[in-house]
Amino acid sequence: MAGRRAAIKAIDWAAFAERVPPNQRAMFNALKTRSDALSARLAALPEKPPTIDWAYYKATVAKAGMVDEFQKKFSALKVPEPVDTQTAKIDAQEQEAAKSSAEYVQASKARIAQYEQQLQKFRSMIPFEQMTYEDLHEAFPETRLDKEKYPYWPHKPIADL
Amino acid sequence: MFSRLVLRAAPAALRSLPPPVTVSVLHTTRPLHTTQQCLAPLPPLPEKGGEVRHGLIPEEFFQFLYPKTGVTGPYMLGTGLLLYLLSKEIYVINHETVAAACILSVIIYGVKKYGSDVAAFADKLNEEKVAKALAVKNEAIKNLETAIEQEKKEQWRVEGRSYLFDAKRNNIAMLLETNYRERLLTVYNEVKKRLDYQVALQNLKRQKEQDHMIQWVEKNVVQSITPQQQKDSIAKCILDLRALSKSAQAAA
Repeated sequence: MAGRRAAIKAIDWAAFAERVPPNQRAMFNALKTRSDALSARLAALPEKPPTIDWAYYKATVAKAGMVDEFQKKFSALKVPEPVDTQTAKIDAQEQEAAKSSAEYVQASKARIAQYEQQLQKFRSMIPFEQMTYEDLHEAFPETRLDKEKYPYWPHKPIADL
Repeated sequence: MFSRLVLRAAPAALRSLPPPVTVSVLHTTRPLHTTQQCLAPLPPLPEKGGEVRHGLIPEEFFQFLYPKTGVTGPYMLGTGLLLYLLSKEIYVINHETVAAACILSVIIYGVKKYGSDVAAFADKLNEEKVAKALAVKNEAIKNLETAIEQEKKEQWRVEGRSYLFDAKRNNIAMLLETNYRERLLTVYNEVKKRLDYQVALQNLKRQKEQDHMIQWVEKNVVQSITPQQQKDSIAKCILDLRALSKSAQAAA
């Protein structure tokens, strides 16, 4: 039967759990309980139903032909497999997730580059003992006093002192 | 006369003091705007200032005079100068001198006693300022590093998204499989129920027929027992019982 047994992959829940960020723990737990419930249900059902003992029934049941008729109809019966409607949606979701995660990784890399740059600047700064005030204002622009806006000492609003 | 010679020699000597560039005389090595290129960042200030004798006269003066006059040279020069100034009344001693002497002595005493403490205090203030700035800088570095760590961790987390979708697909597959098995089981159960019903029906019928027949046979037999036969059979039973009781009494 084609399509049956759609590859139930073994999931490493431990590795999965490691990668879950703490703010999504609840969702992960819900997913896990659901998966466990499903697999428990699956394991409780036998793979094939037990076979019917036709010989015994043929010997026991008096009505002629009834057992034969049953047997014929039974072996001719095809149980339809349930149709899979959701896998396509899941695949679509996966594509989308791949795209958005690629974007996120891009942004993250940009942020890392920025941090690296700042880190470089901090690491290559001259020690404070050798700085003049000019050097300090270059390294930390926020220490520069705005002499145009506040022409009188202390060159910043009193509240900022 | 010698004093005049010394006086004339001194400015010449002072003029011929080498400019600060040539390093051999000075202890410091700061170029101080002598070349075109400017040194940035500025080299650090030297730890100690130039050495000085008696708080006033730089050591280089003594070194300069040492080859010609030996160790006592500068002192002799100083004494001579002083005596010249006093004797020629180029410097006049008046009440200002006494005031100056008192003030200077007090100042020198104060500096000698408390100078190092004040210097240490000032150094401490500076240290604190620098330490605060350094702490800020170190904290900024640490924060940046942790931020980079976090970003890398988040990237690693993102890589694990395939687990999620595998789990979802697994769930779906499990549901489908469960459903299919349930259907098979239902079919089997239904067919079996029907067959078992037929068998049970048959068995019940046979049972009922048997019971009925037995009852009917019994009823007929009981009916066919006539009153005469009953009396005869009762008399026979009594005789048998008597015989049995006799044999039982004999045995006991």
